Amino acid sequence: MGKYIATIGIECHVQLCTKTKLFSEVDNDARSKEPNSCVSPVDYALPGMLPRLNGEAVRLAILAGRAMNCEINACSRFDRKHYFYPDSPKGYQITQFYHQIIGAGYVELPSGTRIRIEHAHLEGDAGKLTHFGAYSLVDLNRVDTPLIEIVSMPDIHSAKEAHDYCKELWRLMCYAGVTYGDLYNGNMRFDVNTSLAPEGASELGTRTEVKNLNSFRSVERAVEYEIKRQTKVLEAGEKVIQQTLGWSDATGKTTPQRSKEVAADYRYMPEPDLPPLNLSSEYIEAESAKLPLMPKDYREKFGEIIAGDTLEILLDYPSLMEKLAEVALLGHGVAPLLANLFASVLLAEEKSAEYLNDLPSAEDLAALAEMNEKKELSSTATKEVFLRLFDPQMRERGTKQIAKELGLIQENDLGALEVIVDAVLAKPETAKAQEDFRAGSEKVLGFLVGQVMKESRGKANPSAVQEILRKKLS
Amino acid sequence: MEIKREEILHLAELSNFSLSEQEVESLGKDLQGILSYISQLDELDTSGVEPTYQVFEMENVWRADKVLPQEAAREELLALSKETEDNQIKVPKVL
Repeated sequence: MGKYIATIGIECHVQLCTKTKLFSEVDNDARSKEPNSCVSPVDYALPGMLPRLNGEAVRLAILAGRAMNCEINACSRFDRKHYFYPDSPKGYQITQFYHQIIGAGYVELPSGTRIRIEHAHLEGDAGKLTHFGAYSLVDLNRVDTPLIEIVSMPDIHSAKEAHDYCKELWRLMCYAGVTYGDLYNGNMRFDVNTSLAPEGASELGTRTEVKNLNSFRSVERAVEYEIKRQTKVLEAGEKVIQQTLGWSDATGKTTPQRSKEVAADYRYMPEPDLPPLNLSSEYIEAESAKLPLMPKDYREKFGEIIAGDTLEILLDYPSLMEKLAEVALLGHGVAPLLANLFASVLLAEEKSAEYLNDLPSAEDLAALAEMNEKKELSSTATKEVFLRLFDPQMRERGTKQIAKELGLIQENDLGALEVIVDAVLAKPETAKAQEDFRAGSEKVLGFLVGQVMKESRGKANPSAVQEILRKKLS
Repeated sequence: MEIKREEILHLAELSNFSLSEQEVESLGKDLQGILSYISQLDELDTSGVEPTYQVFEMENVWRADKVLPQEAAREELLALSKETEDNQIKVPKVL
């Protein structure tokens, strides 16, 4: 039996972080809000209510498109996609079926593989249904939250690659600043199409679609499962049925979703209530220029001075990368130390999520790196001062003052250190150790350094002390 | 073009309408009338004519992203539904 090649295409819905909804002036941030409290007569689709397009959603769509190296189409329009379901009072979704705002482009994975984007379009989200035994409850807060739906080409060929694509897409959208990127709350949702075909076949196999995945891990597991399941079906000489599947994280399986017997028939038609967009090239260029640094820009900037695995960890946190770039402007070569502090100290903290929203100033961080470089702070002391900078009250005093108050500044002044060393060597209790060292015992040096450290109340730079001791005892 | 009974039933199902036998017949007649009226346009040669999406020739109409106070209160809007529970609209379970 020959090998099968998997072909995977992914559709991703991204909720945009506008203040208001796509078509009404209602609060778009319904997190922790009461059901049906962010809803207007427009969202209820009451007779005579008309949609009014949110200009910010258009602007964010341009940024999202540019983040994926996509063409931005000057002309785009809205269409109605009809379906009956209680999550949509209008009886149709307003989307861009015929003329989308975002054209072809590509997403480059950290591995260098490029996944082509077919197009992406603006549309309104649906409401939320909660199912109970015989009835369902409808919350319309999410109705017409602006979405962009990103449609990839079937360029993905493994579960790992599907995972990496979704993760990179998430990073791009977060860096572009178009979404809060909170996967747990459904800010990005993935529909994954998977098909298998024998190696070398010219046609793709029958595909299945796993809907509504909301984590990279689920995407990876669902694709792994589908590849295994479809391989078994094909090896048994049977046919894969084209169907929509649901995924359960708990069971680790996909299951067919119950679907209407009637084939999908959305009766698309142009939305008569929304005039088309015809964006000038000046407008598109001006908005595109506002795209912040993207992950690839950071990889170029820091790739040679920050270890690759550290950099990839930090790239999951746009605020850290922004800060790193800001600090790098202030001091040459401070980025590697701070990258390590971010990765190994900050992210290991229990309160790291909180800390990420309120980072110390670039000046304070640069000062910290500088003190470490000048050996005024030991590596332990650097970590301690670093963490104090996340305490809003402490922070006001500045890096130097904090280090001073905590008594962490190391004595590097050789003259001052020599005075302390002399005082220690004059003490009768060190006489034996001095004698032993001269007789060739290396290990007593540690004892003597310890005595000097004690005398200096821990502020002496141990390596400098060692050097002075060796000189004096030679 | 003649509209068939099955097409009326198909459209009714897509829209979740349950129609009586009488309604199927009368709606079918109405739809047939509308289609016949519109079909007069078929006499025109529209090859090379751009499709008309809207007739006002407006474009780039959008508003600022600013939350405005809503005149209709949640209670008023919920009161429009047949049935509610816990500030949500209660509907029969739909597949």
